[in-house]
Amino acid sequence: MKNSIRQIWAVARVAARSNLAYLGEVASRTFFLAVILFIFLKLWQATYRESASAVIGGLSLNQMLWYLTVTEAIYMSAPRLAQQIDEDVRSGALAVRLLKPISYPLYCLSSALGERIVRFLANFATGAAVTFCLVGPFNCSPAAPIMLLVAVLLAFVLDGLGHLIIGLWAFWLEDTSGLLLIYTRLSMILGGMLIPMELFPDWLKSFVFFLPFPYLVWGPAHLFVHSDWLQFAQLVGLQSLYILLLLAVVNLIYGWALERISAHGG
Amino acid sequence: MKPLKNAVETDNLRKVFEIKQGLLRRNAKSVVAVEGISLTVPAGQSVAFIGPNGAGKSTTIKMLTGILKPSSGTASVLGLDPWKQRSKLVRQIGAVFGQRSQLWLHLPPSDSFDLLAEIYGIPKNDYRKRKALLVERFDLGRFLSTPVRKLSLGERMRAEIAASLLHRPQLLLLDEPTIGVDVIARQNLRDLVCEWNREEGVTVFLTSHDTGDIESVADRVIVINHGRVVLDDSLSSVSENTLIEGKTAELEEIIAHLFNSAASLPMQNCISPG
Repeated sequence: MKNSIRQIWAVARVAARSNLAYLGEVASRTFFLAVILFIFLKLWQATYRESASAVIGGLSLNQMLWYLTVTEAIYMSAPRLAQQIDEDVRSGALAVRLLKPISYPLYCLSSALGERIVRFLANFATGAAVTFCLVGPFNCSPAAPIMLLVAVLLAFVLDGLGHLIIGLWAFWLEDTSGLLLIYTRLSMILGGMLIPMELFPDWLKSFVFFLPFPYLVWGPAHLFVHSDWLQFAQLVGLQSLYILLLLAVVNLIYGWALERISAHGG
Repeated sequence: MKPLKNAVETDNLRKVFEIKQGLLRRNAKSVVAVEGISLTVPAGQSVAFIGPNGAGKSTTIKMLTGILKPSSGTASVLGLDPWKQRSKLVRQIGAVFGQRSQLWLHLPPSDSFDLLAEIYGIPKNDYRKRKALLVERFDLGRFLSTPVRKLSLGERMRAEIAASLLHRPQLLLLDEPTIGVDVIARQNLRDLVCEWNREEGVTVFLTSHDTGDIESVADRVIVINHGRVVLDDSLSSVSENTLIEGKTAELEEIIAHLFNSAASLPMQNCISPG
């Protein structure tokens, strides 16, 4: 266990450092984020004006924009984890990775985490600067950044496991881009990236809460604008539960995948 | 710990893949990739394991490293069962693949070394000494802090081999380590591998289509074709005593002859070791 944690930390650190080499990509992504936030501002300004209401779904326009800043920063930080597994399987690079004394899924997950933390911090810093200029500061509680950090970290682990599950299907499908498209769109829509879950119809809300998607995006962003220790504990509990569940699924699929290499060749 | 007598022992190793065909009716077709390979490689030996594309080299290596389970037969690598003790075995194997990198492209080799030290759990003091030794012997000092993407292929391969030796492996797998490398850098890599084989006693398992690599690095040549061993002899014996149609031949000719002929003829009819 101690060894695995040391390995996770080492891989994540190197992946984070390696990601800083892509400064051009980081810059273009943050520019895109600024444009998106500006469009969101205009859309929500119109919505608030039309509804003649200062609060929609429990959020003021200022809160709504800060909520969207967090959701966009999370969503746009997603690394190419599933595609990387796809490539490893198709190109045969997997055989090289299997010769290292670290579990392949653990290596992929750690690398994705390191990469994603750098991307998230860059996105959030840019997003916060843009949103500050557009709607002014957000008076969050002192605990909000800590809650956000913990919830975001768990969300990244959870999402990483989701991407791993998709990526591991490459052992059967060769190309998992279709599955990935479905997964990312579901996490975008059902995760509350575009519209907070508070605005979902009741029937959808009660259904979606049983899925892991809200805990990837909506959960951390909601906590940031509505900091509450009880909700924080609930979110962390649910994220941990889903992490354990998806870990078991990854373990199962990875076991089958290794059997498949043996039966059909690498 | 008792020193190992043999680094690799296989007995009648066989691998059959099931290939499913057809869209609706999935008929399974069996393809024999490796057909009963029996080998003994003494510890510290340097072996060239060669064959044409599709001969079964990769499948054999994947079985020896525990990635693939054989359909039948047994193997022991460094005294371990590769399929039951894979995680223990990979700690004692170093691997270099000419067409795949284990170094992080955007980071200097030094960062990849540090990461490998953590992955293999090398104690800090040991790692410092080992790294210093490898940097000196592989002459990595000049570019240890340069991102890998900015290195020449020869420099990168030197760093790759050094990286694969950090954890003191007992078995070094080299798959086309000099592919694309210029002639001087190629000789330099071969010399380094020989030096390490001689001085540290690491067993070398080399696959290459370059006969220069084989002649410089290997003590023994194993040629495999259609999943079978068609030649297994010391390099000196193969070079000096093998006759093709009654005449002595260069290693390259002998190998080409084996690659071409073994498909239809049994080995002893192709060439006659004299």
